[in-house]
Amino acid sequence: MSAAAARPLVTVQSLESDMATDGAAANSVPLPDVMRAAIRPDIVTFVHGQISKNARQPYAVSNRAGHQTSAESWGTGRAVSRIPRVAGGGTHRAGQGAFGNMCRGGRMFAPTKIWRRWHRQVNVTQKRHAVVSAIAASAVPSLVLARGHKIEEVPELPLVVSDAAEAVEKTSAALKVLKQIGAHPDAEKAKDSQAIRAGKGKARNRRYVSRKGPLVVYGNEGAKLVKAFRNIPGVEIAHVSRLNLLKLAPGGHLGRFVIWTKYAFEKLDSIYGTFDKVSEKKNGYVLPRAKMINADLARIINSDEVQSVVKPIKKEVKKAPLKKNPLKNLNVMLKLNPYAKAAKRMALLAEAQRVKAKQDKLDKKRKPITKIITYFCCLSMHLRFWVYLYFIGSLLLVSQSRASLMQPGWKLPCPVYLSHSVICLLQEEASAINSASKSWYKTMISDSDYTEFENFTKWLGASQ
Amino acid sequence: MAEKGGQIVPESVLKKQKRAEEWALAKKQEVATLKEKKSANRKLIYNRAKDYAKEYAAQERELIQLKREARLKGGFYVNPEAKLLFIIRIRGINAMHPTTKKILQLLRLRQIFNGVFLKVNKATVNMLHRVEPYVTFGYPNLKSVKELIYKRGFGKVNKQRIALTDNSIIEQTLGKHGIICIEDLIHEILTVGPHFKEANNFLWPFQLSAPLGGLQRKRNHYVEGGDAGNREDYINELIRRMN
Repeated sequence: MSAAAARPLVTVQSLESDMATDGAAANSVPLPDVMRAAIRPDIVTFVHGQISKNARQPYAVSNRAGHQTSAESWGTGRAVSRIPRVAGGGTHRAGQGAFGNMCRGGRMFAPTKIWRRWHRQVNVTQKRHAVVSAIAASAVPSLVLARGHKIEEVPELPLVVSDAAEAVEKTSAALKVLKQIGAHPDAEKAKDSQAIRAGKGKARNRRYVSRKGPLVVYGNEGAKLVKAFRNIPGVEIAHVSRLNLLKLAPGGHLGRFVIWTKYAFEKLDSIYGTFDKVSEKKNGYVLPRAKMINADLARIINSDEVQSVVKPIKKEVKKAPLKKNPLKNLNVMLKLNPYAKAAKRMALLAEAQRVKAKQDKLDKKRKPITKIITYFCCLSMHLRFWVYLYFIGSLLLVSQSRASLMQPGWKLPCPVYLSHSVICLLQEEASAINSASKSWYKTMISDSDYTEFENFTKWLGASQ
Repeated sequence: MAEKGGQIVPESVLKKQKRAEEWALAKKQEVATLKEKKSANRKLIYNRAKDYAKEYAAQERELIQLKREARLKGGFYVNPEAKLLFIIRIRGINAMHPTTKKILQLLRLRQIFNGVFLKVNKATVNMLHRVEPYVTFGYPNLKSVKELIYKRGFGKVNKQRIALTDNSIIEQTLGKHGIICIEDLIHEILTVGPHFKEANNFLWPFQLSAPLGGLQRKRNHYVEGGDAGNREDYINELIRRMN
């Protein structure tokens, strides 16, 4: 990715022994590109699963098991099932069922065979990618912690130790080295976890189980450290050029605690190559590229480039309102049609008016002339006669100008003068009766068929 | 990193605050402009509704006047042939001839008691003739059209059946044809206007209730005492019972 100079540096942990001669501060080595490769748990799980099948020993039941009888079926008609039965007599075994998987002493269903496919082939590149992933994972503290290693006291991951460690001869010295670099708790954990295996495995030569401790990786062939470290419980050793996935990712889980010697660490670049450079030791092999160069999603999302073109957040999600019937609910009606209120108001007023007008019209037509009659009855016989005359007279005069009627001083040829109010009353009644009779005449005409008389004559062809 | 009363506020937070402010401002402005537009629209809608009311009343009176005039002169006034039909499907979906099934699909009558408006022309009349036993149809009046659209009006927005609860829904789809409110829509349907096709297609087929009081006899034609076929103005009475 970047030039060697831009690579982060890993400090080499110094041991007591030779670093004093150097006199310099702790050395530092640039991080090899392997440790920055993409971590692919899917590849590792697959490859680990396949590879771990390769150390299996075949098992099978005996070829002849269950068939070492000359059993034959008795057939039907003997009130027994038709399974082949052992021939002969004189022993329990005679007449017992044989051969079937359901029979006691019979052969099993699908007897296991040794030509089962025990081993698995895995593509070389895939195997290499898996190892590369595992190495990269070993440089990530969270993954190593998650795998269960006690690395709280380890100064740095990846943990690189000076080459003096390769010269360690005695196991006691090796333990001291581990203590110095803070790897002792992990080894201790492994020692404490030694226990008898649960299950049948204990009787099958797999009696003890324990946790895995650190993996020490060295670079020089024949280094003394192999013999020193190999007896420490939990600690395993490996040469750089022969890294085993089963050790780097035990159980298919990434993040083994690895202790590198300086020599081994420097060799990693040449063994696995860099992102641009092909590996020297593995023919034509280049480190795998990640799917995303920048996998930090949060950073990408919050970057300026993205945030500057992002649209505003929609906080209120519009929910469709419940539909209400505008013909019943006035507010909803007004929302849709603001004119509805005015229209309704006008309609109501018009209706009220219509009703009133009709009522008035009917009242006019139907109003009885009750006042004069009652008054008439109270008068004496004599007066009644004159009032009656006056009444008729006013009726006869109705077709002429109204003005004449307005004169209360129309004198009767009688010494009795009717009061002003009575005369007015009489005049009102007279006009009322007149108008009533007029309208009655009109309806009489229109109700009759007289208006259509013209049409009728036309049909007949008769002339009027 | 800006200092805020002793606490360090990360730059990303500041950036987001600023952006949120900008958005809030833009939104406020947008809301204000929308509000203005809406109130202007409201006036327009009010006036349009008023004009339509006048127009409908005038039409009615004109019809009455023409009838009276004719009667006076001794002749008769014949109504012009109706331009608008309302069709209701009265039969179910089983055991149908495939052609008639297709025609009913084309008319958007896929369910029993579905109703649609339809323009009258030679093409549609012939289609109706084919499906007569399955539908009843007639000439709706103003009250029918109004009530159907107000009570059971749903619009086709984005291929979804959306209730006509607001004029904005209508404006969104039919605005480009000059129909911006429900009264416009009613007017367009009733007086089969120039954009009848779009307006009618916007209206989802009406899902009516089964008629209160029942049908007479589905299997017969209306003239035989049943329900199918053209019942002209009596469709309005049926709509009252089904709406």
